[in-house]
Amino acid sequence: MTEPSASASASPAPPPGLQQLFAGMLLVALSAFGGGLSAWSQRIIVEQRRWMSNEEFLTGLTVARLFPGPNQINMAVYVGAFFRGLPGALAALAGMLLVPFTLLMLVGLVYFRFHSLPAVDRVLAGVVAAAAGMALSMGFKIVDQYWKDPVALLLAAVTFVLMTFLHVRLVPLVLVAGPLAMAWYWPRGNRPVDGRGDIR
Amino acid sequence: MVAPASACTPMRLGDLGHLIEVVATFLGLSLFSLGGGNTLLAEYHHLSVTQYCWLTPSQFADIYALAEAAPGPSSMIVGLLGMAAAWPEGPGWALLSAYGAEIAILLPSTLLMVVACLSWNRLRDSPWRIAFERGLGPITLGILFAIGVKILQTADTNAPGVAVSVLVCLLMLRTRISPLWFMAVAGGLGAFGLINR
Repeated sequence: MTEPSASASASPAPPPGLQQLFAGMLLVALSAFGGGLSAWSQRIIVEQRRWMSNEEFLTGLTVARLFPGPNQINMAVYVGAFFRGLPGALAALAGMLLVPFTLLMLVGLVYFRFHSLPAVDRVLAGVVAAAAGMALSMGFKIVDQYWKDPVALLLAAVTFVLMTFLHVRLVPLVLVAGPLAMAWYWPRGNRPVDGRGDIR
Repeated sequence: MVAPASACTPMRLGDLGHLIEVVATFLGLSLFSLGGGNTLLAEYHHLSVTQYCWLTPSQFADIYALAEAAPGPSSMIVGLLGMAAAWPEGPGWALLSAYGAEIAILLPSTLLMVVACLSWNRLRDSPWRIAFERGLGPITLGILFAIGVKILQTADTNAPGVAVSVLVCLLMLRTRISPLWFMAVAGGLGAFGLINR
């Protein structure tokens, strides 16, 4: 819609087969060494291969973020399933993970063999300090959308206190707090929202 | 400073039964991986450091940093946890356990994602979808803050290290610099002994 003619005139490619899904995701994973996985998958799937329209891709991203699982992996699964169901999802997943996971396994084997060397441990102490900063930033990254919702902030604060100070585990926490929060946020027709009026 | 749980005795992974236990644990956690997969980190810490003693706290911090630094989704940390679980049995078992753990953590969420993809048109306007998205968002927020604090405690570096952590947090929020640079610079500071633990 807002896109100029370039993408509108380009006809979509025929739906990819299993091998193409595998190869496409492999390319996404290789291109994204150093970061920007999301941008690369959009560039390759929408712009280069033309498997999906931008709108279809963005819908996929929404679904991938909503459902449990790592976002980027969910997105690969979505693209695969979109065209070829479960086999497509597995092909896309394998393409996405093959190279990075193999590399990480090599890193792991090296780590477990050599981590007790003092030189390695000293470098890692520094890297760990930076990684802790990255972990600390995760909550701040999404907090902005909740400032206007006191109930959401209260829920987040209670969750934080339960986990940090009372050492409540994740699974019971989500199983109890999740349904309560869902009940509170259940969409109600009788709450007048933007002049929609009551439905009673 | 909290004393590390030294009373924890590691479980031997010698038999297939224990490998199956590892796989079953991760299978059960998969669907609790909210907010892009990071909400499980505190649980991973509990399992691998406190419950099963696969790792010391500082090894857990190392593995977290390696998974963040390596290319690809950082949720692949589960592969490293699986590797840690079977490391005493040798590299062959360790790799088997690593692949088993990673497949286990991804399988349930993948199956659900396939169902979600194929039935999204019906799910989109469902009140369940709306309530799930709005309700679980704030809980995810609280969990992520708790995990930030947990990782900071686990890293357990000296004062310059904590200062670097806070600085990196700010830079992550205010700039678009690749975090690989932060890790490289901080690794250098560690090598020169400015950051230690």
